[in-house]
Amino acid sequence: MKTISALLGSIGRWWQRSRPRVRLMVGMSVLVVIGLTGLTPNVWFGVTISWPYAALIAAAGWGRSGLGFGPMFVLVLFGFAQDVTASAPLGCFALVNLAIFGASATASQTFDIERSRGMNFGLPMAMIALGMSLVWILASFAGGHFVRLLPIISALMATLLLHMLVAPVFDLGVRRGAHAGVSA
Amino acid sequence: MPRYVGKGSRRRPLRRYGFFIAVAGLIALLLLQTSPRLSEQIEPVRTAASDQMFHMSKPSLIDRVTGASKRERRIFELETRVRELAQYEALALSMAERLEVYEDILNMQGEPAGAEVTARIMAEADGPFAEALLANAGRLNGVEEGYYAENDGGLVGRVVQVGKRSARILKITDFNSRVPVMGESSGLRAIMFGGRDGAGQLTDQPESGAFIDGERILTSGEGGMFPRGVVIGRVIGGGDEPRVELAMSRGQLSYVRLKPSARILPPEVDDTSPSAEAVTAAPSEAIE
Repeated sequence: MKTISALLGSIGRWWQRSRPRVRLMVGMSVLVVIGLTGLTPNVWFGVTISWPYAALIAAAGWGRSGLGFGPMFVLVLFGFAQDVTASAPLGCFALVNLAIFGASATASQTFDIERSRGMNFGLPMAMIALGMSLVWILASFAGGHFVRLLPIISALMATLLLHMLVAPVFDLGVRRGAHAGVSA
Repeated sequence: MPRYVGKGSRRRPLRRYGFFIAVAGLIALLLLQTSPRLSEQIEPVRTAASDQMFHMSKPSLIDRVTGASKRERRIFELETRVRELAQYEALALSMAERLEVYEDILNMQGEPAGAEVTARIMAEADGPFAEALLANAGRLNGVEEGYYAENDGGLVGRVVQVGKRSARILKITDFNSRVPVMGESSGLRAIMFGGRDGAGQLTDQPESGAFIDGERILTSGEGGMFPRGVVIGRVIGGGDEPRVELAMSRGQLSYVRLKPSARILPPEVDDTSPSAEAVTAAPSEAIE
């Protein structure tokens, strides 16, 4: 037991010290694992499981550290992969991911400079819900009719659940907007 | 520890410009795809990407070393076999003998048989975009465009795009899917398309009359896209706007069976027949 807690403690300390680029790589690896697992059959005991849109969690999380070329590149890349697997027009998910990334960056710099607990919880949730709404709008435009809401809602639930579990992995550890040298 | 970055960062405007350029580029890419010609040119890229996705979902090196992939492959083969047998055993026993007798009596030409493939569904089965499935069998497995897909419940859809190792199946639940169907008891014909609630909707009935509530809906075979008699579901509601509860939703969508459609080829021109001579003579006469 002590060994496990010591291991977790050392991982936590390493994560706190790690640079944004390292955090981005770790987040990207988690995205790849979740994405590739989503390609396997998602039927458990005869029930089709909705697969979460992990890239939206990443966009909302990375966006809180402000705009950056690295996260933007990764989100566009994953967006194209999502387009292929979801039969969406190319660029659709990349646009949604990027829009949520930008919205998260703007909202964080406007409302969430001090990173209050309410914002920590509510802002990413709102961003993910906004992302899902965008997906629904774009899917309706692409299909020429209003698409079903049920798959979107079930995917939203799955994404929010995953967000609660893995959100810290998508924190780049950069706080924009505060003056340099001021500690929280 | 979090790294604090002031507002006066020099690189920030560059990032902002980059962000807006990327967003504008993606919107332009989406708008370009509204042109059918450009969209057609993008399709090969999408097919190639689907093939790559299939490669990535193959067993890892660790699985190969430990032999897990071999066991999985064996389990997969056995599961496929069991699924096939369960589906066909009862049906074959009860019908094969009778069918043979009927065909002899009617001197009927049977449906041409073709290669059938069981494929695993790789990508999402219930997405918000075109209701399509990505299966891990392609041209190398003998799958061709126009094959239809069945699960243990009934008809799932039709292969609309084939790569080397992957195929995209347009589900019958898609709004743009059109399936010629008929009622098993009433004999009425109609065209079925995917409704918003996941059930099928019937339209374009050539005959007057109403479908019977609860009757089975089968493919009518018209148009040659699907063979006649594949189970689609049951009528619910009846009346003016009958809907179809799809049988495929009772089955599981992890695996589908891809089967060739009964494509009827146009009659060959016989050189010796008088009509063929007339056909071949006609162009020369026209020139004269």
